[in-house]
Amino acid sequence: MADYSIWVLEYCYVSKYHKSGVLYGAHNQGYVKLPYCYVVIKGRDHVAMVDVGYNDKAYGKVLGDRFGVENWRDPKVVLAEVGLTPDDVDTCFISHAHFDHFGNVEDFPKAKFYIQEREISKWVWAMSLPDRMRWMMVAVDPGDIVRGVGLAAEKRLVTVDGAMEDVLPGIDLHSAPDSHTWGSMWVTVRNDGQKQSQDTWVMAGDLVYQFDNLKSSGAVVDVDTMYTPVGLAVGSQTNLILATEEMMSQVGYEARRVIPIHEEGLRDAFPSRITKDGLRITEICLADGEKSKVA
Amino acid sequence: MTEPDLFTRLAATHKPDCLLSLDGPLPQAVPNPDELSRTLGSDTVARYAQDCRPIYEDLRRVIGQLSGLLILARLTAKSDIADLPEAAQCRARWVEAGQRLGCLNAPAAVQGHKAQLDSAHSFCGQILAQVPQLRRGPEAETQFDRMTVQIKRAYAHLEAASAPKAGLQMVDFTHACCACTH
Repeated sequence: MADYSIWVLEYCYVSKYHKSGVLYGAHNQGYVKLPYCYVVIKGRDHVAMVDVGYNDKAYGKVLGDRFGVENWRDPKVVLAEVGLTPDDVDTCFISHAHFDHFGNVEDFPKAKFYIQEREISKWVWAMSLPDRMRWMMVAVDPGDIVRGVGLAAEKRLVTVDGAMEDVLPGIDLHSAPDSHTWGSMWVTVRNDGQKQSQDTWVMAGDLVYQFDNLKSSGAVVDVDTMYTPVGLAVGSQTNLILATEEMMSQVGYEARRVIPIHEEGLRDAFPSRITKDGLRITEICLADGEKSKVA
Repeated sequence: MTEPDLFTRLAATHKPDCLLSLDGPLPQAVPNPDELSRTLGSDTVARYAQDCRPIYEDLRRVIGQLSGLLILARLTAKSDIADLPEAAQCRARWVEAGQRLGCLNAPAAVQGHKAQLDSAHSFCGQILAQVPQLRRGPEAETQFDRMTVQIKRAYAHLEAASAPKAGLQMVDFTHACCACTH
């Protein structure tokens, strides 16, 4: 029995991203493809998303010209691949406030948004610091926070303080303070609806970029595999490792159940297809009665 | 003077939550100072673009901070945002931006650009003036709604004054997920 279908939807990508950004310490090890994705969770009369991508009108040209981001597609086009429209989305969980995760709230006019309170409060603090500490403000657009004010006015923004159980039936939120960002959050789906679930999926946001963060060579410390954190953390790599351990414990240490959204290798772990626009749709699981969107 | 017809009146009337409902020059994209300096070949304009950077950065931060403070005040237990050190730092930065704006020498070709910065600064000031009076309760909702429109308007003016090639840009992408080899 499965309550929810889960799809990872690619909405653009960078063809050549330096591997040390993905994997802490992987210097001079070349480049990897970095897909940009959001997650759709459908079931129990809800359509939820983890993150909403960014708005190409605002950033598309800069990202294309300077950073090689390619093939951005509107959520209308991307969601249509799984038979949905942005209007169908009633809930959005924002894993963190970076522009490529929180930068397109306007395209989801009927959704209620959840974000960690700490992500907002520490952002306000970081903005108050001197210019020489500006690095801590990286990749956040004040405009996204302005739009958050609008969502609050419409009573469509919820700030979460730490963990929150059953936000939707069988779906929990967990915080990873001072890790990738100040108030990063992951989403746990207990897909059998049980408290002690045997069918748990974790949407990791940017706490994990790729499967290598969960299982990289442990030769240096004489084990088969070990966790290696992502390269970018305004908090600490230690906190990333601690969050990874907690996520992994939730899924019984079955690494494929922790879903990274910058991972090209999802295609090797789950059924998937490439759309006519050249973007990948990956089907993580299907709810009872749901038809495959990749077959 | 004749009264405008119904269509004109309706077309010119904004909903209360519309950012254009507020008085003042409208936010509209103006020629980028960096492009103007290239086409006009003017050192003065180039210097203006250079002098704009700290002002733009100040306003970017003030808008971001005020937005975050408004969210926290409205949705969380942090009701006394006026007492937070971040609120004081935000006000200090706004004052500094005002002083820099006062000294900014804007050639005629970029007066429209400076007007956008002035407006962004002015709307931030209107919000800051209300922060000490923020209270909980039904009346606060109306006040929050007003400030919401004002912060959106401030952002719209600053966005209109953005010029990535001149370093006037809302997001620092340098270390973002997308910052690759280019």
